[in-house]
Amino acid sequence: MDKFAELGADIALLWGTYASRYLNGILNTLILAVTATLVGCLIGFLCGVLNTIPHSRQDHAVKRFFLKLLRVIVRVYVEVFRGTPMVLQAVFIYYGLPYFTDNAVAFRGIPGIWAASLIVVSINTGAYMAESVRGGIISIDPGQTDGAKAIGMNHFQTMTSVILPQAIRNILPQIGNNFIINIKDTSVMFIIGFFDFFAQHRNIVGVNNMYFPSAAIEMIGYLCMTLTASFLLRLLEKVLDGSDSYELVQGDSLVLAAGTYSHPDRGTPFDEHSKEQRERIRQELKHGRTRGDR
Amino acid sequence: MSDAILEVRHLSKTFGSNQVLKDIDFTVRPGDVTSIIGASGSGKSTLLRCINLLETPTSGEIIFHGESVTGGKVNPNAYRTKVGMVFQSFNLFNNMTVLQNCMVGQTKVLKKNAQEARANAMKYLEQVGMAPYINAKPRQISGGQKQRVAIARALAMEPEVLLFDEPTSALDPEMVGEVLEVMRSLADGGMTMLVVTHEMAFARDVSNHVVYMSEGVICEEGAPKEVFSNPKQQRTREFLSRFREN
Repeated sequence: MDKFAELGADIALLWGTYASRYLNGILNTLILAVTATLVGCLIGFLCGVLNTIPHSRQDHAVKRFFLKLLRVIVRVYVEVFRGTPMVLQAVFIYYGLPYFTDNAVAFRGIPGIWAASLIVVSINTGAYMAESVRGGIISIDPGQTDGAKAIGMNHFQTMTSVILPQAIRNILPQIGNNFIINIKDTSVMFIIGFFDFFAQHRNIVGVNNMYFPSAAIEMIGYLCMTLTASFLLRLLEKVLDGSDSYELVQGDSLVLAAGTYSHPDRGTPFDEHSKEQRERIRQELKHGRTRGDR
Repeated sequence: MSDAILEVRHLSKTFGSNQVLKDIDFTVRPGDVTSIIGASGSGKSTLLRCINLLETPTSGEIIFHGESVTGGKVNPNAYRTKVGMVFQSFNLFNNMTVLQNCMVGQTKVLKKNAQEARANAMKYLEQVGMAPYINAKPRQISGGQKQRVAIARALAMEPEVLLFDEPTSALDPEMVGEVLEVMRSLADGGMTMLVVTHEMAFARDVSNHVVYMSEGVICEEGAPKEVFSNPKQQRTREFLSRFREN
């Protein structure tokens, strides 16, 4: 027990001395993770939309060639960045780009480190998201595309108005996954000198050798960040799902009363639906909410 | 033939080695209500999807107001705004409310402003009796209601021709009635309609032209009275006799 007491005392000591540095690290980690996840999602959506542009044999040969090329490029991007460690990608971009371009592209100073980190984490997330988005798009019933096309929407309109809003809802858990992974994995950016939460730990223990207490602070810190992220994502899912009920709209109040009168046991002119609805509510109350009917 | 609104000429469609449509030829004039009947798998739905260019015909032509839409000169999206389609599985946009479903095509494709689109959508939702439900999501309403919204969505684009692909096949008998009622009133209003259906009563009573398809070809066509009471082909007789027994 006294070991824990000692650890607690050390943690308190460390936190007392270095709180601002830890907090600064947390802030940097969060900024990088949030921004990179957002940019990565955009890259993913772009890849997903480009990847699903329909083409038929009757199309012009040039168009077909470009579409094919586009798919190959996206595929190579996904495979390369998904298939190599992010630490090495960071090294190649931060040190490699200036080297191969004879310093035409160089990352200088703190802003340079930020830029390089953002680029690496973003394109990494993008590579994962591209596949998730593709899965999300495929999972949407083809009838939705038919319906959109039948009222004259082009591919872009179909995607932005109909398919992606539904796909985003479906892949939100995966976006959350990526966000949480990013919160933790941005720690590898210490390799190019990025000052995130973990880098602060390396710095602080380098001075005072209090490895274990500092690691404990790190653990608690990361867990707090990821738990908050999970909570916020769940909340977002709920908001996106919207309300389960809706209001009938009717100008004539008599008609309104006629259409919506619902005695719990007797049913209504819209019986089919309200019976189902009642049964579902009953089941939900009994067994908790299921998402099986989606 | 100059008064034809839609002509299908020598249309064929193959999926791999499977020829689904063979040399289909027929004409739709303004105000026509054409019913396409036939057994499942006879190519009716594929024909309708070809007409709306959701499937690309293997050969043959579809001519809209004297202009071929299959040659690649006409933008299929612009063409589809004039030829609406109602599906068996409704295909309402699940991420939108009933009202948004009827507005999105007008605002995004026809570039109308929101107020105009809303007023127009309400007009057609009123017509199909779904105006009270504008705030509901598709998952919250019944099949018959969904189909009526789908019809309103197609109507809101103010198309010249409306294609119905088995609009009542996914509905239970009670709901079939409400959808057929809407379709009947549209037909009475002079809408040009092309209806793939298994509702023989609708084909007989509402349409003025019946096309019987079998194994990818048009087996027989003509006025409903002719086709139903005095079918010339053996296959038509057999097909219709099965319906009479029920």
